[in-house]
Amino acid sequence: MKYEYDKGNLSINLDEELDMKTCKKLRTVIDGYIMRYQPQEFIVDLSQVKFMDSSGIGLLIGRYNLLKLLNSKMTIINPSNSIRRVLELSNIAKNIDMRSI
Amino acid sequence: MERNYMKLDFKSTLDNVAPVRVAIATFISNLNITVDELVDIKTAVSEAVTNAIEHGYNNKDGIVSVSAYIIESDYDIVKIIIEDKGIGIDDIELATTPSYTSKPELEHAGMGFTIMESFMDEILIDSVTNEGTKITLTKKVKNKKSSN
Repeated sequence: MKYEYDKGNLSINLDEELDMKTCKKLRTVIDGYIMRYQPQEFIVDLSQVKFMDSSGIGLLIGRYNLLKLLNSKMTIINPSNSIRRVLELSNIAKNIDMRSI
Repeated sequence: MERNYMKLDFKSTLDNVAPVRVAIATFISNLNITVDELVDIKTAVSEAVTNAIEHGYNNKDGIVSVSAYIIESDYDIVKIIIEDKGIGIDDIELATTPSYTSKPELEHAGMGFTIMESFMDEILIDSVTNEGTKITLTKKVKNKKSSN
């Protein structure tokens, strides 16, 4: 995982398979960055993620809920088609901005 | 007719979820199968195996068994059975409700069964409290039968 903070925007670039094992570790690390920077916008880049199951939905919803408390915006960018299909089964696709760049 | 099968028995630890889903995907990758179909099956297996470990055994020691079958009919059919001897599911209707999770504090999305139902053609849940759970996932491979 890589992260970058610039002028209120915190971007993280995930590059592992998102399953229960990796998500349990990632959520602590990501929340550490969110609390440290308290960004206006939090951007999750999924372009390097080759696999995701429902644990990834849980990870993203959890961060979305935390950011809402901070009045921050969350954006998901570049999900692959298969990841998009997983995301679209949940309400997350309606609540969080998703785009490809 | 059953053309091929394999069976994996493994310790109930989350470390094994990735190797098992990769093994199953590799096993069926010789079929005339699309990438989407392969990812669907891999994702459904990941959900069922994670459930066995996190819920069936509550992360305690146990054995999870996964059997995969390739069945010949008009189409190739992939059948995967995921079994644990854990605590079982008390209320299957509740457990399969989208977004319901028994462990919200762990940020489970409660979408595991929804994914299995959406990505596979059929899911059978056979569970007895304190004896275990058997999940049978079936998917027809839509392309014409592969010939080997």
